[in-house]
Amino acid sequence: MEKFIHELKKEFTKIKTIVNNPDEIYLISEENVFKLVEALKNKKFNLISMFAADNFDNSRGIDLFYVFDNEEYKEILIVKTHAKTSNISIFSLFPTAYLYEREIKDGFGVIFDSTCDTRRLFLHEIYPEKFHPLLKSFKNSKIPVKKKISESEEYVFREVKGEGIYQIPVGPVHAGIIAPGHFRFSVIGETIFNLEIRHFWKHRGVEKLSEGKTPEEGLLISESICGDESVANSLAYCNAIEKICKIRVPQRAVHLRVLFAEMERIYSLLGDLSGMIVDIAYPAGSSPFFIFREEIMRWNEAISKSRFYKGSLKIGGVSSDVSPIVLKELSDYLHKFTKEFTTNVNTILNSYFVSDRFETTGIVKKELIGPMNLSGPLARASGINNDVRVKHPYALYEKIVPSDRVMDKGDVLARFLIKADTIKDSARIIKEVINSIPSGNISSDYKITDGYSFSIVESSRGQNLHFVVIKNKKIDRYKIRTASFCNWYAIEPAVIGNIVPDFPLINKSMNLSYEGNDL
Amino acid sequence: MREMIYNKMAIPISNLFKRKTESFKFKDKEFEELGLKLKKEVDKIFGKSISIRLVDTGSDNSPEIELVNLTTPYYDIERFGINFVASPRHADIILVTGPVALNMLEALKKTYEAAPSPKFVIALGDDACGTGIFKDSYAVVGSVEKVLPVDMKIPGNPPTPEDILKGMLGLMQKIKNKE
Repeated sequence: MEKFIHELKKEFTKIKTIVNNPDEIYLISEENVFKLVEALKNKKFNLISMFAADNFDNSRGIDLFYVFDNEEYKEILIVKTHAKTSNISIFSLFPTAYLYEREIKDGFGVIFDSTCDTRRLFLHEIYPEKFHPLLKSFKNSKIPVKKKISESEEYVFREVKGEGIYQIPVGPVHAGIIAPGHFRFSVIGETIFNLEIRHFWKHRGVEKLSEGKTPEEGLLISESICGDESVANSLAYCNAIEKICKIRVPQRAVHLRVLFAEMERIYSLLGDLSGMIVDIAYPAGSSPFFIFREEIMRWNEAISKSRFYKGSLKIGGVSSDVSPIVLKELSDYLHKFTKEFTTNVNTILNSYFVSDRFETTGIVKKELIGPMNLSGPLARASGINNDVRVKHPYALYEKIVPSDRVMDKGDVLARFLIKADTIKDSARIIKEVINSIPSGNISSDYKITDGYSFSIVESSRGQNLHFVVIKNKKIDRYKIRTASFCNWYAIEPAVIGNIVPDFPLINKSMNLSYEGNDL
Repeated sequence: MREMIYNKMAIPISNLFKRKTESFKFKDKEFEELGLKLKKEVDKIFGKSISIRLVDTGSDNSPEIELVNLTTPYYDIERFGINFVASPRHADIILVTGPVALNMLEALKKTYEAAPSPKFVIALGDDACGTGIFKDSYAVVGSVEKVLPVDMKIPGNPPTPEDILKGMLGLMQKIKNKE
């Protein structure tokens, strides 16, 4: 990386570099960054997040952060620049940027020129105009909302016109026990011609709420981002705080954290598998998977006192220890589980009506993975393994390496198989963790110091990125970008050409998080 | 892949019988007793069954996971006469989770209006009851009470399946007392 930056500096003489952590390098540019971003794109860097922060280094202005990742390097590269009165959109270089730019526009009022979409993102019609919650000038409090929304203020969906094309609006309140989201289909006969999704119905103001909170209070917020990713998110948050404050986590706690994270992955993915089978109208087939999930959730309670691992992590370690007897029993259970689980997966796949519905349905093309920054099982099912545990190993994943299996079809069946495989692999990882767990402390004392840091983890849905700024021992900015934020938009191209009744199946096969996206 | 599946292509009916259901023994005494008690009340007050429509207004999804669990083989609350329905038009109870995000305010009101009277509202989870961590955020109303007349609160982060059943039982008591 050093060599690369040296080369880059020859072309862009005015940029400064800051190495914040060994794996986190900042390029600071005062000029317009479009050319710099273009140069990075040509060197195969990929935009993994983009956000803003107000008054970041007490410069009394808004800073923009462009976060890049490259297959060749272990480090992540962040381009930081001052937001100007008008900024050039990088949408033409990285298509996902239009989402980030809309997010920044809502949060901070920063305008991007020559972008493709100027609609509001997380602030729906009910919010007043010129309201930008993430500016420091706004103190978190209740705001006057619009009482009536006129027709001209309503959200405009992309409309496909033509003979025989009609629209189906779905949501925000859906038929099942599920979170709210709006899906607008343009359909010919039964075939989907276009889909546009609109989210952020559950926007709770997570990022603003954490500002001014102590790091310990912030941990509670990180746990509540998404119910079935609570370990992944709180782990990412703890990692960031521990990097800032240089806290060493005892080995036993690191092992337990990995154990929790992998158990969470198992129960979360089991829910996906059973959901997919329910959606092809095969409830009897889904029952074993629901039973497995309940069993795993009971194990969660046995080892952490919470079915969702709430309150099980803390800064510097974990909250409570797990006794060796329980660990041994868990290991035995997982041995039995893996066997029975494999039998049940094979039974499902032996039914021809399952493959009839699963195969060639909802294909996510491999070419889209990079540009859309798709990650997790979704990417692995389409032929690209960008598992954070392999790419940027944290905790124990350097020693206990996750499976690198990929499938190339990218259809519902591939996602089903990859998820089933990931579950078995997680069970293996847990058994290895239990075999190698040392005795000792489960947490260490710490002192909060000021600073900022990134942290990336692999949740059950993919790459979760957290960025924390601590100022005066309080959280100054907490930016979360879960895998779902990017992965949601894979569904739009994936459903085209499929029939409407297959949409729930394709949706479930990705099983993305509404709350992780809406924040 | 194709080969793996079609080589062993079997008749689905025989698969159904092959599954090892006998190894699944689950009896949670407390849960069973609660369920049977609830069933009696439901039989009396609602004439055998009640229908619930869920509206998620910004929960962290863990209450929904527990609600889905209630319908799975472990708990299977349909046998106690409790159904989750797709439309508010069919609902006796509007069950609300989350602190009512402003973006969901209109949808929540419309869902409530769409349900036929008499109807009851349950607020499920700390956020919905107004004691969660999001209550002071700019983006939420704060609690379901501020928007709809709440008949029963089931606190918890999230409430366990037993808690949810206990809450339902409490609602039945309340309705009975009113009458």
